[in-house]
Amino acid sequence: MAAPTVSASLNASTYSPGDPMTLTLSYGDPDTRPVTVTIVVTDAQGNSSAPVSVTAVIDPLTVTVSDDSGRTWTRISDTGAVAVYRAVA
Amino acid sequence: MPRVTVTVRDSGGRTATATADYAIAPPVLGGYYLSGNGDPTADMAGGNFRSLTQYRSFADGYLFPGWNKPWLLTLGRNGFAINMVLELKHYGAANTGPQTFTVDGVGYTVPAPAMTIQQRPGTTWPKAYGYGQVLAGLCDGLFARALSQYRTMGFPVTIQLASELDTDHEFGTTESGVAYDWADSDARAVQAMTYIVNWFKARPLPAGTTFSVGSGGFDRACFRRTHPESLMSRLDFLQWNVYATDPGHTALARFRRTKDWAVADLGPVALARPVIIAEWGVRVAEFPDQAAWIATVPPAIAQLNAERGPRIVRTNYFNSGWGTLSPKATGLAALRAAYATKPYG
Repeated sequence: MAAPTVSASLNASTYSPGDPMTLTLSYGDPDTRPVTVTIVVTDAQGNSSAPVSVTAVIDPLTVTVSDDSGRTWTRISDTGAVAVYRAVA
Repeated sequence: MPRVTVTVRDSGGRTATATADYAIAPPVLGGYYLSGNGDPTADMAGGNFRSLTQYRSFADGYLFPGWNKPWLLTLGRNGFAINMVLELKHYGAANTGPQTFTVDGVGYTVPAPAMTIQQRPGTTWPKAYGYGQVLAGLCDGLFARALSQYRTMGFPVTIQLASELDTDHEFGTTESGVAYDWADSDARAVQAMTYIVNWFKARPLPAGTTFSVGSGGFDRACFRRTHPESLMSRLDFLQWNVYATDPGHTALARFRRTKDWAVADLGPVALARPVIIAEWGVRVAEFPDQAAWIATVPPAIAQLNAERGPRIVRTNYFNSGWGTLSPKATGLAALRAAYATKPYG
């Protein structure tokens, strides 16, 4: 099992009160892979159901964002590799 | 400085952490100047005015707070950010000779000002104490007198040396019969401003005292020449003035002009300094609706401060000359409305 990686960047270093703030995260883990499992049910007579498929993520990552000033960061988007959060200055 | 911390955890409990620091700037201070260094108290009443510009000549025996200016003490004690423009320029025709006076028991004699500045053709050129006189130590008594009075005020101010070096030097200067072109005048001024700042900083100053040098900000080469890193390392602010005098002038473009030159031309020390706009104004001849133009200033400042480069932290409306508010009541109402708005409010 490999360790995850993450980097974080803000869209500015100084904000005026009330300004929108944008935080962009890039994260990943070599173990994190999507897999698709396809299931077919077959009875004793040999009748098979239509296949159904489900997806799962092996070794999923949990992202937490905290702010020591108590500011609330809200997730705007997340591709699984890049996540964008917003807060108000 | 606030910090945001991001943690990524996998199912095995392995984590990675990244941090990003940021700052929340205080509101921009909305400010004012009233013609003739007049008492601005009544004009500012009821508005979010927190900053003020004042002009004094080192030749004047009453710099701090100034002759008949008890209101300046009141404003300062109430937390106003006071930008005191101290000029080597001699304001009046009266008594341009040498001065002899005593400061804290020490006698000084300062020679007559030996330089002319603002040598615009067809005008009377004002006198000023010369950069050579400053560097020779001949003006130390003027600085001692200013410092002694400043110490009695009980609050710190920003000392802006010179009002506009570009205006002073645009047509060259002359000291003791020697003519200097614009660039040479700038170089001599940088030496003299450095001398004066060092003179003050070598002595006990009220805590919170800050310094800048003045410029109109209308000439890129002059702005670059007068803001070398060696001088900026001794200063706390950048400063320039902003006027709308052409119908095409927008607030964003006018406040941006000198900032863009600064970002392109100045070094990291200069660009780490916040900006005081000691004067801004909109001329009624080109903008009969001054209030409409004033209303565009808050978003312009907000946009510039959201961009890369030094932040504008004070803007003082110049209700005089080009900036004269007419009608005054309408203009003041517009200023009150602007200063109640982000990034001021």
